[in-house]
Amino acid sequence: MSALLEVSGLNKHFGGLQAVRDVSFSIEPGEIVGILGPNGAGKTTLYNLLTGFIPFDSGSVVFKGRNLRGLAPYRIAGLGISRTFQLCRPFIGMSVLENAVVGGLGAQGIDRSDLDQRALALLDQVGLGGKALLPVETLSYGDQRRLEIARALAAKPALLLLDEPFAGLGSGEINDLSALIRSVHAEQGLTVMLIEHKLHEFMRLVDRVIALDFGEMIAEGTPEDIVRHPAVIEAYIGRGDEQAEEQTDAA
Amino acid sequence: MFGKRIDFAGAAGFVAFMAVLPLVFGGNYLIGVLTVSVIYGIWAVSWDFMSGLTGRENFGHSLFIGVGAYTAGFLNTKFGFSGWWSLPASMIAATVFALIIGLPTLRLRGPYFALAMLSGAVIMQRLMLIFWEQTGGEEGINGIEPLIHSQLGFYYFALATLVVTTALLLALARSHWGLILRAIRGDEATCQAAGINVTYYKIASLVISAAFAGAGGALYAHYQLQVSPQLFAVVTSITIITMVYVGGMASIYGPVGGAILLVLLTELLRDFGEWRLMVYSCTLILILFFLPNGLIAPTWRRVKAKLGRPQ
Ligand SMILES: Nc1ncnc2c1ncn2[C@@H]1O[C@H](COP(=O)(O)OP(=O)(O)OP(=O)(O)O)[C@@H](O)[C@H]1O
Ligand SMILES: [Mg+2]
Repeated sequence: MSALLEVSGLNKHFGGLQAVRDVSFSIEPGEIVGILGPNGAGKTTLYNLLTGFIPFDSGSVVFKGRNLRGLAPYRIAGLGISRTFQLCRPFIGMSVLENAVVGGLGAQGIDRSDLDQRALALLDQVGLGGKALLPVETLSYGDQRRLEIARALAAKPALLLLDEPFAGLGSGEINDLSALIRSVHAEQGLTVMLIEHKLHEFMRLVDRVIALDFGEMIAEGTPEDIVRHPAVIEAYIGRGDEQAEEQTDAA
Repeated sequence: MFGKRIDFAGAAGFVAFMAVLPLVFGGNYLIGVLTVSVIYGIWAVSWDFMSGLTGRENFGHSLFIGVGAYTAGFLNTKFGFSGWWSLPASMIAATVFALIIGLPTLRLRGPYFALAMLSGAVIMQRLMLIFWEQTGGEEGINGIEPLIHSQLGFYYFALATLVVTTALLLALARSHWGLILRAIRGDEATCQAAGINVTYYKIASLVISAAFAGAGGALYAHYQLQVSPQLFAVVTSITIITMVYVGGMASIYGPVGGAILLVLLTELLRDFGEWRLMVYSCTLILILFFLPNGLIAPTWRRVKAKLGRPQ
């Protein structure tokens, strides 16, 4: 089977800083892949390159056999790549339901006749069913994260890119959200990439991990391999990161 | 559903009130004031459709008004077209100007669009003076024919235009299309992540806004029977924005009330002579200070909530 997403030799620099360096990987349909790396490793930048929010310097990104180079973000999203943002970016001034509905208004080739009902069902699924008519500003941070996911799913994407979906959530909420990701993955065969820098969540959720440090891919493999990988241990412990302890816990 | 029926009843009541007012009080003076207020209503509603919904403020709505009015003036006096060509022609002319300004500036973030609209209006006002041989300079174009000879008939036609404009733009604003415009105001990046071509929607909404402003300009030309460079004045644009604020931004129907209220207030204050501008400004500041969301639309929402509650 051909890969859903094929990334090769991707580079991006900001001034003198090489934020992404020669990154290559491919994602098979139906996988859940984790992107791991310490702060500033280039994870969010990688998403920005894949989704067209920032143009890359060199390399290529091929999605469903189509080269994405130079396409505007809305075109890439329209082709079936949905993303969430690390810092929630809801549509201020609108209700929770309206926020979810807008998520489905830009995708190409999807049926929009039942969009309102589908958005409502998605809100139920992420646990916001009772809050559909509230102004989005009144949601807690955790709820805003769930809404981001409902909004992204409303587009019926083929590939979902989640940027630290668990950040700032309590452990109960994290379990709910992992269950949600697993269920949409199982029901719809959705392919998921997710960024995290805590290993706990990864271990249970992802099939494969891609580890980045200073913009470079330092390791790739199953979660079990990754936690034992010397380069990964070095990236965390070597710098005395506070995540180091968590890292060894997980291992 | 119930809310919709109350909205409809409110709208019907408002139109009936506006239609009956000149029959009860009569007098050409009142009909004139009402006609102007209704035309300002068209301008305010069309401003709100683009700028209120998307949050991209347009400081030069008078550009579209002036272009529409001069189009009507030229066609009617220089080329001998009947006045009924004025409305479609002015809509098209205003649309062209919307594209000229919107295409390059609405793809950018930042103040470029607001500034381009403002300068566009100022430049057009100057051009009308520079090319005075064609445009009549300071005096403008005189001798425009009335659309409808009876003053009351013309008022009703303007009122009907306002109703159609508001109904159309309100229906659009409440559709998925309008939801996208409001989402653009909420967060452009998230819109793009949802596959929405933000630039397209901003330009399209400006074009629609301009078309109706241009039509209002043509109506104004056939009301005054004359057009002058003053139509492009910045103060007109500011007045329209104030009307939208008083009416309630992004509500579409609120600005109709804002426009009528402020035009009537201006007339009532004529007796204050020298003090007029001060009283007018103070009233506005008080309204906006105590009611930052405006007066008309929030009041209507409160009325609706009261009526909608089971007794
Ligand atoms: N638009 C930008 N302009 C300049 N520098 C940037 C830009 N975006 C990111 N960077 C820099 O690139 C590097 C990688 O940032 P990025 O946000 O991709 O890291 P990250 O792995 O997502 O980190 P975190 O875990 O903190 O979210 C950082 O040094 C950051 O300061
Ligand atoms: Mg990040």
